[in-house]
Amino acid sequence: MGFIMDKKNRFFSGLVCRECGRKYPPAAIHVCEYDFGPLEVAYDYGRIAKAVSREKLAARPESMWRFRELLPVAGDPTVGAQVGYTPLVKCNRLARALGLKTLYVKNDTVNYPTLSFKDRVVSVALSRAREMGFHVVACASTGNLANSVAANAAAAGLKSYVLIPADLEAGKVLGSLIFGTNVVAITGAYDQVNRLCSEIANKYGWGFVNVNLRPYYAEGSKSMGFEIVEQLGWEYPDNVVVPVASGSLLTKIHKSFQELVKVGLMKEPRAPAKIHGAQATGCSPISTAFKEGKDFYRPVQHPKTIAKSLAIGTPADGYYAIQVVNQTKGECEDASDEEIIEGIRLLASTEGIFSETAGGVTVACAKKLVQSGKIGKHESVVLCITGHGLKTQEAVAGKCGQPRIIGPKLGEFEKIYEEDFGKS
Amino acid sequence: MAAKTKKTMGAKKEKRRFWLTIPQKLVRRPIIWEIGHKYPIVTNIGQASVTPEMGIISLEMEGRREDIRKVIAWLEGLTIKVEPVEIGTIEG
Repeated sequence: MGFIMDKKNRFFSGLVCRECGRKYPPAAIHVCEYDFGPLEVAYDYGRIAKAVSREKLAARPESMWRFRELLPVAGDPTVGAQVGYTPLVKCNRLARALGLKTLYVKNDTVNYPTLSFKDRVVSVALSRAREMGFHVVACASTGNLANSVAANAAAAGLKSYVLIPADLEAGKVLGSLIFGTNVVAITGAYDQVNRLCSEIANKYGWGFVNVNLRPYYAEGSKSMGFEIVEQLGWEYPDNVVVPVASGSLLTKIHKSFQELVKVGLMKEPRAPAKIHGAQATGCSPISTAFKEGKDFYRPVQHPKTIAKSLAIGTPADGYYAIQVVNQTKGECEDASDEEIIEGIRLLASTEGIFSETAGGVTVACAKKLVQSGKIGKHESVVLCITGHGLKTQEAVAGKCGQPRIIGPKLGEFEKIYEEDFGKS
Repeated sequence: MAAKTKKTMGAKKEKRRFWLTIPQKLVRRPIIWEIGHKYPIVTNIGQASVTPEMGIISLEMEGRREDIRKVIAWLEGLTIKVEPVEIGTIEG
């Protein structure tokens, strides 16, 4: 990889409580002992600034790890070396459809190896898990995260456990089973399953990617923001529209933009990029709180949306996501199931990108933000599209028309031709 | 034999941490005090934010697993949401 670095030479010193600032060693811990606030990675930005430059980064392989000094791995990454650096697609046809001049899609539908942005966070979490000596890794998930942990653990030779709600669709279960992981399906209401997963995570000493490895895991999301800026020719966009589940991706994209300034790769912008949150109306705790002018959200007890990957009623980073949106003068919007499907179809039919339901949410919310004037028509916009449509085909099945069936005769095809083009 | 007795008698206490979301109708009720009087549980508050609309409290409970479960069931019966300190352990 060419990023030789030993543990004594790492660019992060430990963890720090986001609430009270107490410092902790770089261990597999995630909550402050005093106020239960979330722990974050503390970097030595001065040292990183001396170690990185645009030229050095450009010479590195095209993966998320070209920004490795700003990711919390002590040595060389050992899991997911090819993850990231997905295309930033200039979308002229979709831009016209939305009434925009300049629009890009950060296309993580083609992220390696499991076609979602979760490969970014999982590769960081598992690389760090190996450094800390874990032999078993685990997660609790309803889809993309489970697939990514299963695949990346298989490739790394780590034993893995994936906890899922018992009523999960068969296709999603298969997407993890195929990698030889141990899938454990848990019956019961969401809150009971959630608490059990916490107990399991804290009992067995496993590397639980989104629990005790969460401070490291969450940092992987920043790579999406770093890549957007580099792929724009070291410029910030005016707007970024981010799908919101736990709120982690949104906060980390903001953090990535700030860190590029801290390490001297970017100058402080005159106006920060506006970061907008996109949710499904059937589970929109953050969007609702934002629209009501509140800085805390009301938990959604029973999410009801086809965008299941965003259906988190109690977003762990919700409070911080609302803060970021307010700080950057962004907005929050939400989209109905019908609008989500329309968004998926619009992205597919204008740009050839088949997104999962979360992408439909992002497109639909961007459309609303443009129509309401909250995003200016002459401003540049990046849409974060986070997972492939093949993962949620049931959402659009039967809603994209039907093939026209004909017999094996040229005359029958000519009738179709005449319908489409008129008589030749 | 003595070791077995010790294991069954003493080793079952554990600490678990939760976020409680208290609805508007219960924000004036002394929930934490009630826990301490109804159950053999030691409570310790990490953070609390209580407004006229809702209360959010991070709470450590120390006691036997069975008693902690009873407290959770009691709180949920009152319509208080009880989440692990990680809030969401299940992701998309």
